[in-house]
Amino acid sequence: MVDITDTLDCTGEVCPYPDVKSKRKVKKMNSGEVLEILVDYPLSAERIPETMESLGHKVLSSDKTGTSAWKILIQIK
Amino acid sequence: MVGLLIGAIFGFILQRGRFCMNSAFRDIILLKEYKLAKAVLVSLAVLMVGFAIFVFGDVIDLAPKPFKPWSAIVGGLVFGIGMVLAAGCASGTTYRVGEGMMGSFVAAIGLTTGAMMTGAGILSVAKLDLQHVVIGDKTPTGNALLMLIVGLVGIVLMFIFWGLPAIKKKREANEPMIKTENFVDSTFKKAYPWWVTGILIGIVLTAGYVASNGVVGITGGWMDIDTWLLTKNSVMWAGFIIFGIIIGAFAGAYLAGEFKFRVPKDGFTVVKQFIGGGLMGFGAVTAMGCNITNILGGVPQLSLHSIITGVCIVFGSWIAAYLLFMWRKD
Repeated sequence: MVDITDTLDCTGEVCPYPDVKSKRKVKKMNSGEVLEILVDYPLSAERIPETMESLGHKVLSSDKTGTSAWKILIQIK
Repeated sequence: MVGLLIGAIFGFILQRGRFCMNSAFRDIILLKEYKLAKAVLVSLAVLMVGFAIFVFGDVIDLAPKPFKPWSAIVGGLVFGIGMVLAAGCASGTTYRVGEGMMGSFVAAIGLTTGAMMTGAGILSVAKLDLQHVVIGDKTPTGNALLMLIVGLVGIVLMFIFWGLPAIKKKREANEPMIKTENFVDSTFKKAYPWWVTGILIGIVLTAGYVASNGVVGITGGWMDIDTWLLTKNSVMWAGFIIFGIIIGAFAGAYLAGEFKFRVPKDGFTVVKQFIGGGLMGFGAVTAMGCNITNILGGVPQLSLHSIITGVCIVFGSWIAAYLLFMWRKD
């Protein structure tokens, strides 16, 4: 089990807010910390892990947790 | 009925491909993400070839719009700013209604309101002023041969620059070219890769043009529904496209387990989406077409008006994205 440092709840938000918010959030976090992102918007659920990887962060998991609900865990580089 | 069917297929593809021009253009500068923009280019090339084939077959007539510079520039910029605020272009907003996003439904009402006001209401004076100046031919004719050439050259270039590197990468990684074993899964459950979306959108919109001998539009469809609600005049082709898109997007979202009623947490977002929708409505009627009519209907016909409108929509979205998301770096 990983220790989640912080949670970013983006449920109910439309693009591009989840993407932009998660990008801003990881900038403020320290190396090694883990961010949990909750989204219910399909496009963002697919794109946030891609964006994070291209930024060099580690995507620990990206799971569909229910109907149109996803949980993404990111470890900051 | 054909409208309903084509709309439904269109909606299904929009939902699966997450095809939204708002994201496509905005994310070029916001997230440095080009996949959807590439999908737009692919569908443009397919549309050019598709339209040209049916022109040669004498099935459809081209009807590029006359070049009205002010209407294209102002309408395009306002539309572009509006779609970022509304969090979805005309088609993106419509398919998200089918996904159960209430914010987008509000944006669609805003779009209809803005479009109606500009079409016949208090904003129609501004529209007429902007549409007054016409440059060049008032009833231009398309050049199908040129369209065919541009489309084919586009397809070849895209294949060389985007297709071949991707194939090479796959070969090096020893991945199969096409994964056939889970066809049902990839058709109904997963999001489509950008090039599949682009090709499918191109084909379905070509079919839409052939079926109606005219471009498929979104804004006109919403206005059509509004007229129907107010006057009980029967819904026309354009209105059926909208119902079709919503049904198709719902089917796509439902099958993939992505349908849920969602309301933005923040009330202000809803207000923004309504205003954004209204701006899009004004822009679309002023520029004689929303993003689908102009970019995916007019640009393939090489209409100067549509090309200028398209460029201004892109700039408008960049301006809005910059002001909303990039200007204040916190």
